[in-house]
Amino acid sequence: MAPLTRRRFLGAAGAGAAGLGIVGAGGYLLGQETADAGGEGTGGVPFYGEHQAGIDTPAQDRLHFAAFDLLSEDPAELRELLREWTVAAAEMTAGEMVGNVNDVPLAPPDDTGETVGLLPSSLTVTIGFGPSLFEKPGLGLAGRRPAALKPLPPLPGDELDPAESGGDVCVQACSDDPQVAFHAVRNLARIGRGTVAMRWSQLGFGRTSTTSRSQETPRNLMGMKDGTANIKAEDTEAMARYVWVGGEGPAWMRGGSYMVTRRIRMLLEVWDRAPLQDQERTIGRHKYSGAPLGGSDEFEPLPLEAQQNGHPTIPADSHVRLASASENDGARILRRGYSFTDGVDESLGELEAGLFFICFQRDPAKQFVPIQQRLGSIDALNEYIKHVGSALFAVPPGAQPGGYVGEGLFT
Amino acid sequence: MNRTMLCVTSALLLSVSVTACGSSGDPPPGAKTLSFELTDEGCLPHESKAPAGPIAFEAENTGSSKVTEIEVMEGEKILGEKENLSDGLSGSFSLTLDAGEYTIYCPGGDVERGTLTVTGKSKAKASPQADAAVAHYRKYLEENAHGLVLQTKPFVAAVIAGNVAVAKGLYPLDRVFYERIEPVAESFGDLDPRIDARENDVPAGEFEGFHRIEKALWEEGTTKGMAPVAKQLQKDVEELAGKVETVDLQAVQIANGANELLGEVSASKITGEEERYSHTDLVDFEANVEGAEAAFEAVKPLLDETDPELSGEIEADFKMVFAELEPYRQGNGFVSYTQLTQADTRKLARSIDTLAEKLSEVPAAIASSE
Repeated sequence: MAPLTRRRFLGAAGAGAAGLGIVGAGGYLLGQETADAGGEGTGGVPFYGEHQAGIDTPAQDRLHFAAFDLLSEDPAELRELLREWTVAAAEMTAGEMVGNVNDVPLAPPDDTGETVGLLPSSLTVTIGFGPSLFEKPGLGLAGRRPAALKPLPPLPGDELDPAESGGDVCVQACSDDPQVAFHAVRNLARIGRGTVAMRWSQLGFGRTSTTSRSQETPRNLMGMKDGTANIKAEDTEAMARYVWVGGEGPAWMRGGSYMVTRRIRMLLEVWDRAPLQDQERTIGRHKYSGAPLGGSDEFEPLPLEAQQNGHPTIPADSHVRLASASENDGARILRRGYSFTDGVDESLGELEAGLFFICFQRDPAKQFVPIQQRLGSIDALNEYIKHVGSALFAVPPGAQPGGYVGEGLFT
Repeated sequence: MNRTMLCVTSALLLSVSVTACGSSGDPPPGAKTLSFELTDEGCLPHESKAPAGPIAFEAENTGSSKVTEIEVMEGEKILGEKENLSDGLSGSFSLTLDAGEYTIYCPGGDVERGTLTVTGKSKAKASPQADAAVAHYRKYLEENAHGLVLQTKPFVAAVIAGNVAVAKGLYPLDRVFYERIEPVAESFGDLDPRIDARENDVPAGEFEGFHRIEKALWEEGTTKGMAPVAKQLQKDVEELAGKVETVDLQAVQIANGANELLGEVSASKITGEEERYSHTDLVDFEANVEGAEAAFEAVKPLLDETDPELSGEIEADFKMVFAELEPYRQGNGFVSYTQLTQADTRKLARSIDTLAEKLSEVPAAIASSE
């Protein structure tokens, strides 16, 4: 029998048909299930593959990100966790129920149930390992640590809260349905209970980047188009050059990538009071069209050499200039961030909101770090933002059916 | 999910109280047999009665061309049925039913709906191991109920005498006995609210029991007006001890009780909400976990047979939880909840979650051996 999807489960459990549960008529319902199971499965992103999904797959609208502390230093427990997470993640991305005990009256269901009846909704689950994982003597992984997984150095403008930074293991769950993303993190946290404990987590409600040419550039909470010049998945050459770990990394990381997350609080009240012209000069783009200053089309190249009245058209301290590859010795990163809000800032009564920045790259020390060193010291945008959380993770390559994410770390 | 759903158990229909699988094979041993005749009038008799438990339904068409089907329904749910019983044919099926009113539905008859009244409690025959588990736990239950009665006496006396300091010292010691067996106390309707309600749990003016006295001792600094409350508390715990002796227990229920006790810890002890005036929450915390452990130990022999690995893990996790509590021990109790940092409560909560996640698997794991 084929795995039972969440939609089909609803029918089989008898609650779908106007509340009329037909008990003891399993044969009838089973027949019905196999008859029309073929129409399902739309909106699914394959979990297994060369790379983990959630990096070069089109950015979904919603995020639930979680960083975990490892509670046990027993490598067997970590392996078992990764094995169980892989199976559950594959089930959830296919729109199936987690586990196989979901209809035993005396047992708590394996699946927490809030996605019953929902489609896969493009769920991707991406698992990564923080530098601290390799520093636990009991695990004995010190020798497997990639050179590129050095903790990020202190960066200008950092105001990091340790409680919202770091983590031994992370899960990035992205979906077009917020409930599906939440469900993924919730169920993985539950499976991991006793082995890992959630250290911090972040919900994101709107993507701020495009990772595919098929997607329109979204706006961040400043109302600006963000990520216009992002690496696009279709550009496989750029992906290989800037994102995927190659022969320079240990074998277990080849085809993987390094993820940096930064919780960037935006001082929206201050930003909202800035004149339009200042907002545009801060970023270096026109607010509504997204075109570079002086231009009219979002995708026209940045005129970094252009002058106006003796000044650069794109100001020297504007965000797009400082972040551009040509100003960073060609360094580029794949951005995949999300807007967030967590209610009200307790001490100020202001909106606790901003950008949960996520980027992927081959070597953070050569890509994110130098870019942020420049941005953090001279970016005009610094007047309106604060970096309050930070983390770095090694994201291993994808798993094959029967295997598990991170398997190479143990072989 | 890839398990074959042999029986559709309506996991989403929470009210279903009927054993999921009807069967048309041999009736289970000890089943009560009900016979029906399919006639033009409908199914005869129109009114029938049976004790709760397994029931075999036998139906025979004694000459009707209008009625060829019999269904047993609860509300609009069909629990079991036999179709295509034309003139002269007979058939049977069996169901396990709890007490309640059911409909015998025979479409096409002059009277289509008859009534089946099921009364009493379903008496499944328990295994000797399950009986031993119940006996083991009953002993614990009675000891603690008895301890509660004895320990409440000096506490009540101190309150009546107006001795605030002595009453404060005795309060947490008395609470321990109650917190160990709380889920059982909760099963007796309004006894638990009378003994253990917090101020916001009950309508204004009905706030009594332990926490009313707790508020007087710690918040008001006096026992003024508390004598009647204290006397009533003594009566209530005695009533509880009496009821405990006759309470109907099953192994699965005991295992569920262990879960509920850890749920109590997560919901109100680790948050400091239970003992909001005295801040003796860690005393209750330990008592809840002790109660859960006693319940687990009672059913452990059953679990050892079906899932020894789980059993070993749970035992280790109980040790881990007690070890996590140890640093906070002070005198014959614990430090005040107010002295705990967020990191402390987070660690304690984590240890409970770890244990509770595994403990929640026990009821289903032992159900088959009951």
